[in-house]
Amino acid sequence: MFWQDVTTLSLTVLEALAILVPVLLCVAYATYAERRVLAAMQSRKGPNVVGAFGLMQPFADAAKMLLKETIIPAGANRALFLAGPMLTFILAMVAWAVIPVNNHWAVADINVGILYLFAISSLGVYGIIIAGWASNSKYAFLGALRSAAQMVSYEVSMGFVIVCVLLCVGSLNLNDIVLAQKTIWFCVPLFPMFVIFFISTLAETGRAPFDLPEGESEIVAGFFVEYSSMSFGLFFLGEYANMFLMSSLTTILFLGGWLSPLPFAPFTWVPGPIWFLLKVFLCIFMFFWVRATFPRYRYDQLMRLGWKVFLPISLFWLVLTASFLFAFHLLPHKLA
Amino acid sequence: MARLDRAARSLFLAELLAGMRLTLKYMLKPKVTINYPYEKGPMSPRFRGEHALRRYPNGEERCIACKLCEAICPALAITIESEPRADGSRRTTRYDIDMTKCIYCGLCEEACPVDAIVEGPNFEFSTETREELMYNKDKLLENGDRWEPLLAKRLELDAPYR
Amino acid sequence: MVKLTVDGLEVDVPAGSNVLQACEAAGREIPRFCYHERLSVAGNCRMCLVEVKPGPPKPMASCALPVAENMQVFTDSEMVRAGRRGVMEFLLINHPLDCPICDQGGECDLQDQSMGYGADHTRYREPKRAVRDKYLGPLVKTVMTRCIQCTRCVRFATEIAGTPELGATARGEAMEITNYVERALTSELSGNLIDICPVGALTSRPYAFAARPWELRKTDSIDVFDALGSAIRVDVRGTEVLRVLPRVHEAVNEEWLADKARFAIDGLKHRRLDRPWLRVGGKLRPAGWTEAFSAISARVRAVPGNRVAAIVGDQCDAEAMLALRDLMRSLGGSIDCRQDGAFLSPARRDHYLFNSGIAGIEQADAILLVGANPRHAAPVLNARLRKAWLAGGLTIAGIGQPVDLTYAVNWLGTGLDTLAALHAGEHPFRETLAGAKRPAIIIGPAALRDPAAAALAWQLLLAVDGVRPDWHGYNVLHGAASRVGALDLGLVPTGAPLARALHGAADLLYLLAADEFDTKAISPDTFVVYQGHHGDKGAAVADVVLPGAAYTEKSGTYVNLEGRVQRGQAAVEPPGEARPDWAILRALSDALGHGLPYGSLDAVRQALEAANPVFGLLDAGPALGAMGPEGPAMPDDSVGRAPLAELYANYYQTDPISRASPTMAECARVAAPYPVAAE
Repeated sequence: MFWQDVTTLSLTVLEALAILVPVLLCVAYATYAERRVLAAMQSRKGPNVVGAFGLMQPFADAAKMLLKETIIPAGANRALFLAGPMLTFILAMVAWAVIPVNNHWAVADINVGILYLFAISSLGVYGIIIAGWASNSKYAFLGALRSAAQMVSYEVSMGFVIVCVLLCVGSLNLNDIVLAQKTIWFCVPLFPMFVIFFISTLAETGRAPFDLPEGESEIVAGFFVEYSSMSFGLFFLGEYANMFLMSSLTTILFLGGWLSPLPFAPFTWVPGPIWFLLKVFLCIFMFFWVRATFPRYRYDQLMRLGWKVFLPISLFWLVLTASFLFAFHLLPHKLA
Repeated sequence: MARLDRAARSLFLAELLAGMRLTLKYMLKPKVTINYPYEKGPMSPRFRGEHALRRYPNGEERCIACKLCEAICPALAITIESEPRADGSRRTTRYDIDMTKCIYCGLCEEACPVDAIVEGPNFEFSTETREELMYNKDKLLENGDRWEPLLAKRLELDAPYR
Repeated sequence: MVKLTVDGLEVDVPAGSNVLQACEAAGREIPRFCYHERLSVAGNCRMCLVEVKPGPPKPMASCALPVAENMQVFTDSEMVRAGRRGVMEFLLINHPLDCPICDQGGECDLQDQSMGYGADHTRYREPKRAVRDKYLGPLVKTVMTRCIQCTRCVRFATEIAGTPELGATARGEAMEITNYVERALTSELSGNLIDICPVGALTSRPYAFAARPWELRKTDSIDVFDALGSAIRVDVRGTEVLRVLPRVHEAVNEEWLADKARFAIDGLKHRRLDRPWLRVGGKLRPAGWTEAFSAISARVRAVPGNRVAAIVGDQCDAEAMLALRDLMRSLGGSIDCRQDGAFLSPARRDHYLFNSGIAGIEQADAILLVGANPRHAAPVLNARLRKAWLAGGLTIAGIGQPVDLTYAVNWLGTGLDTLAALHAGEHPFRETLAGAKRPAIIIGPAALRDPAAAALAWQLLLAVDGVRPDWHGYNVLHGAASRVGALDLGLVPTGAPLARALHGAADLLYLLAADEFDTKAISPDTFVVYQGHHGDKGAAVADVVLPGAAYTEKSGTYVNLEGRVQRGQAAVEPPGEARPDWAILRALSDALGHGLPYGSLDAVRQALEAANPVFGLLDAGPALGAMGPEGPAMPDDSVGRAPLAELYANYYQTDPISRASPTMAECARVAAPYPVAAE
């Protein structure tokens, strides 16, 4: 009995590490990649000094981050101030439990995976709100408010988009969602939904051009203005981990997960996880690309886009999809 | 028609895509920055970098304490004190340049009747403390000795235009 | 008056003027090097060329051309411009282009005029000449290669200074200005050669390479090294007085300045008192102001008021003297300004003034010098006397040690018995004085040491009609800049001068920068307070030393020997803890419980004016003529037969500043034994 428990526990830990270590590694190199991509798009070189091609830059940054002093402002609520970044980071990590990188390759292959993800990503706003409030700084507080409002707004349209996909799949299991795309990836029939979903993930992760919660030129750095050292680092890791999470979700919902683009050799020779990774990286590249291209939205524009554009369109498309499926009897058998 | 056109453009995100196309194009172009500490850009002989006091080939310092550089310096960065040397010649006892005040305009060099104070090609003279940027005569003469071949070369190259 | 036109402008100038002066009158600037208003016309630089009609068809040197009726002068015609350009080119042929190392650079006539009138390049390719530098003493530095042979220096030395030691040898390109033998100049006005030289051939040796004119902050002040009160400009860089130059004041110093005034200023950097000192156990040690003041006030309380005395020095400003006078009055002590022991009374102002005035003395036609050496006491005044003598019609006689005064003096005798003989009519010079329209007597410090000298001289002058409503020939030649101001404030005790009766006269002696008396005469148990700027004789015997300000460091009022009230401005801050003297006395008076009723410089000056209205009449010259025939009181003592002492054996070191000056020490060292007048 005891040994069985130990084995299960060790296995769980190993499984968790097996997903978290690559995720964190990816996150580290995403910072490097982002800088290189942005530099390239601005005709610059980017970091190229630390190690070959600057490849050791993330580790130098990490070392710097760890060695710096953690400053807790005098007026801050100490416990909440420290809880904020932890919460953000932990939530960003926990979400990975349900992501399948290959057929049934998930730490927890649960049948309500998409709901779990949705719940976890919604919780992320708490970390930010806590950080903004506990900092006892007007910039941080403004940043947190913006962040909360922004996340709530875009989750609505994201929800409709996901429902749209679920209508087509008939399951909340992420593995099933991928398998449902064997004939055609959902990004083709649901292309407008795909676009809306991608843009909403930008807003959900607070990336340019929706990086108003940070807004360096307006509110200094937003909710984490008072953070330094590793407490800042946790926010940073959390943000990038969320980017990867959202990219994975996009991959799973619209880009066919681990499926090869064309269902025959030589594409099928490539293992599923590689395809999955490539698709995620493509999404991540899109994040950088968008950042290099577009200026930041104004707050009212952001709100208008969320409520007056994306919400009606996604609602309309949901109705359209449902009607289409119903009219042509294409509803998945589980729903029928 | 124009409205339709505009509506179509915004519906299909035409402008956004055009922008993204542009950034992608630039990403694939050669970089304009150079790999600074290892590569350096071309430098004009008129480049105005770190100051130096030059000497004549026989080792005699050129500066004759005429104070024209001090007078012309718009930032009042130069301080000179002078007195007759033992041999009766006019020399500085003090020649200070406050490099934190200097605006590198090159007027001191322009004013110098004996090409003593020059601004050399060196621009890599950052220091760890502010005090190190208060150059005195020894430091300037040392600069002159170190950079003399390049200083002479740049004066020679610029001579036809003076 | 002669009427002529300059560039079409009609001007009237006095007959005998030259064309250059006429052009100046018309507001046309004429470039010149050799011409100088106060020197004879040489006409050798040729820079002042103008075109004149009617006249020869060539440019004429305007300085040497007398004006004529209906002359037409053109100062800017093509001919003139070409002529000047040519002259300038010739001048620059042998002038080295070493402006960057030349001390004249920035204030050089040749530099300015070559910018204005010269060509932009030279056509001269041959070797330039070089001339060996001459040694002219420790004050004037020569770079003879720069000389353009304008001969201003030769003319100045010969005409103004009266020491014809400079001349020109050879001709043409080989011409050199030289003093023939390698010897220092003997003139006390040699510094003016530096001003008068239009190029950098003669420059200041102590100031050599020290600064550029554009770096200097210029402050108008008044010279205190002699009683003339010459107008000076103090040039300062940072906190250092670098040089002193004369300002033009026609009624006082014209544009000349004595060497001591010009060069003793390096003494301001040496042996300065920059903090209070206190004698403890026989040794002076540094102290604070409060400590020094409490030491003084402890002593003042222990001493009866009538045993307190004060002596005022030679270079004090009137403000400090007033503050000390008022302090002494409130303590009940006595105060004296005559540290040389001269018998001078403040009763009537014309008894101690140079009544004919500095400029007025030129009108005298017979002058008797009694114990006066104007060449040492006031070199610039001596130049005036020489100027009057050169103009002709002036007979000068002297009583005292025969010296070379640069003009002919008939030395009548060495003692005051000669004056008595003149007064009694037993001397032939009496006839000369009696026959003169404006006879004058200049009585100096050496004679004033005799109590009868002043009265005797006055009576002699009265007898030869030298004291009239339109002419006052009684002139006291003071040696100290502060003396007339002190007498105007009445700083004289009843009885003999304090400096003569110091021993046992006081229990507390306050010396306001007074060093020129025999400090050994002070009793050992006298408590001495010295307030001054240099650690000189007075400070050496002091029990408390208070650091005061030298004349360049305070705004002060000075009255010169003709009674002209002038003000000098502070050019720098006093060193260390030193303060302006009146402010020290004001603070001390508070510590003593006798607070003086003025808290600002303006208030002191109002008090000065209240004390004597003459202090309100800034820069007012002497009144013309005498107020009345009453002369100084004649004491009962008989007149001494002893020869009058030469007071200024050493011209260069007469006061704390010049004694601290290395330059003046060098001058005193190289000065030749003083030349005695040829009989």
